[in-house]
Amino acid sequence: MTTDATAIIAPAIAPAPPESDRGRGYFASAWIRTFRQAGAKVGMTWIVIVVFAGVFAPLIASSYPIAMRDSSGHWSSPMFKVLDYADITLMLLTLIGVASYVLQRLNIRQARYGLWLVAAIVALTPLTYLLRPGQPPVSDFAYEHYRMGVANGSILRAIHTIIPYSPSDRLTDKPSGLQSNPPSREHWLGTTDNAEDVLSRMIHASRTAVSVGFVATSIALFIGVLVGGVMGYFVGVADIIGMRLIEIFEAIPTLILIITFVTFYRDYMNIYSIMAIIGATSWTGDARFVRAEFLRLRDQDFVHAAKAAGLPLRSILFRHMLPNGITPLLISTSFGVASAILTESYLSFLGLGIPDRASWGQMLDAARGQGTSFAWWLAVFPGGAIFLTVFAYNLIGESVRDALDPKLLQRDS
Amino acid sequence: MPEPLLQISELNVAFDTARGEVRPVRDVSLSIYPGQTVAVVGESGCGKSVTAMSILRLIPSPPSKVLSGSIRFQGRDLLSLSEKEMQSVRGKEIAMIFQEPMTSLNPVYSIGDQIAEAVVLHQNVGSREAMRIAEQSLRDVGIADPHRRMREYPHEMSGGMRQRIMIAMALSCKPKLLIADEPTTALDVTIQAQILELLRKIQRQTGMAIMLITHDLGVVAENADVVNVMYASRIVESATVEDLFDRPKHPYTQGLFRSIPKLGTTAKRLDTITGTVPNPAKFPAGCKFHPRCDKMNGDPICATVEPLLREIAPGHWASCHHVENFANSPVTLPQLQHKREDMVPLATEVKA
Repeated sequence: MTTDATAIIAPAIAPAPPESDRGRGYFASAWIRTFRQAGAKVGMTWIVIVVFAGVFAPLIASSYPIAMRDSSGHWSSPMFKVLDYADITLMLLTLIGVASYVLQRLNIRQARYGLWLVAAIVALTPLTYLLRPGQPPVSDFAYEHYRMGVANGSILRAIHTIIPYSPSDRLTDKPSGLQSNPPSREHWLGTTDNAEDVLSRMIHASRTAVSVGFVATSIALFIGVLVGGVMGYFVGVADIIGMRLIEIFEAIPTLILIITFVTFYRDYMNIYSIMAIIGATSWTGDARFVRAEFLRLRDQDFVHAAKAAGLPLRSILFRHMLPNGITPLLISTSFGVASAILTESYLSFLGLGIPDRASWGQMLDAARGQGTSFAWWLAVFPGGAIFLTVFAYNLIGESVRDALDPKLLQRDS
Repeated sequence: MPEPLLQISELNVAFDTARGEVRPVRDVSLSIYPGQTVAVVGESGCGKSVTAMSILRLIPSPPSKVLSGSIRFQGRDLLSLSEKEMQSVRGKEIAMIFQEPMTSLNPVYSIGDQIAEAVVLHQNVGSREAMRIAEQSLRDVGIADPHRRMREYPHEMSGGMRQRIMIAMALSCKPKLLIADEPTTALDVTIQAQILELLRKIQRQTGMAIMLITHDLGVVAENADVVNVMYASRIVESATVEDLFDRPKHPYTQGLFRSIPKLGTTAKRLDTITGTVPNPAKFPAGCKFHPRCDKMNGDPICATVEPLLREIAPGHWASCHHVENFANSPVTLPQLQHKREDMVPLATEVKA
């Protein structure tokens, strides 16, 4: 599962950034050197597009009108009614993130504390969802209300989103219904054989792709840093046991393990368990990198100095050693995100994904269609999206590696 | 007679290596009184840094253990403290500065963050107050424009500035003892003088004791009150700085002084001590210095019996079978005790 990252060169010590980076920390200047490169810019642009498409998918592609007026002159917004708490939290958090980034660029420091407070409140909103006693799902009602209104002419006016189809809107009452159609003016990227709009599905699926990439990689990072850190710092027995554990995990063919797991526990599977499985099987590379870095760092002077200053183990490991040994992890992470996305696509393509959740791999699978038919638009567009996203992450990974390579750095300065 | 701040007695440390046990510190005893500067002098590998690191219980790899002895700091035996208690001694009671200022600062944090972290930990203050203390300690060590420097990173500083910052970091929690492990070795001569002057100034202001580990006798002459000369894991001579420089007793110490180039002499070649430092894994029997000694004259006792430290003159200890008027004096255990009042004023004050 881990993309080959043997080309990673760990700098002997975090290199001093060139003179032009005065007043900036190691990570700030590494960030700037990374995104000075065209590859990283292109990659990041695509990722930002995919992330925004995923986060704001319900506002971009939805069968529910943003606003409508019925014959009684009453305005309502079915689209906002069907947003759930997760959607709203995700959107608000993203907006806060963007706002804090902009404010930071403008050097408004105090504004950040307020934003963190808002973010904390927003992050807690899903909790109120749990406190609400059971209510009928609002989506069916709003949908029927709108469709019936359109049919009997009681809707006077409706303002739609850019793509007026929800990802699993099967358009049963449309004449074109229930068959796979190539791209047309109505459906820009065609429809699936359930008559679902491909573009809408792709936009909603980008949420799956992005979250699988981030969550699975975070899980892998967490386990890898913990195991590798303990191995590299304590050496001895911990190192021997950890290394055998890694060897055991690396001996298991990951994809087959995942497939077996998914087949046996079909009923308990959701997108989060898929993320957890991908994460729990792809940490070994990270652990090796962290171990190697910690072995190097544990005898560095500043680590001795931190110990002599009486700092607790937690601070020495994660505040002083980890940031100095994170370079190979940064690189392997961006490749790791790409490979997690690919793994999820394999699973969906093999029909082992989550059935009711739009996913690029699943659409690729649908391209085979029934019998001899082959829906090219179901292969090209989702396949292209997978390709571009994986490619974008690899471009960023490549740029991070170049930015952190001390040899290239010396040539620059 | 004041209580010693730090009293090391009969300390023995062993390293477990693949080729067997190595003992870098043997029967080392020394005392440091408040306000005193005690130098530990010796060649690389003689055990002086290991002694210093054992005080903070920070001996790095290879795996090591203290075989016997005690290290008492203000009446508490540091060797029997838990790791948790030890953390509150490190940095707060006993601070340490290292030889390499270029690599002793964490490259990813700003200067202010690094100093403030220890301050928050040891002084129970908020981060804003810690930053203020950090800024004050930078000002104390003579960093110009500390407010701006607080936000800068180690790579933006010169070696001398970084060592000042290390000192500021060590002093920010007002320790009672500062262990300076070759604090000036990596610096050029003018910066060396500035850093040593700074340490003297701070010592006068705060009454802090300093354990100065060095191989530079010039640094010792300028700074130390008491000198312990180490050779091959033992202290071979211990005296006040005046006694030692005027009347060195041990042949090794005498050899060291002869090897210093002097102004006004016409000798073509510099004197050296013949031979090399013995490998700690296989020390010679008897006196460890005897293969290199010019006083031995084939005396078999040197090759068979290891001499113990004996008091030759009040406060002056040496371990040699051949010191004049020495052979007949009784063998006693070292109880090195020096009083501040007994000692000569600081070398600089004499000059002034």
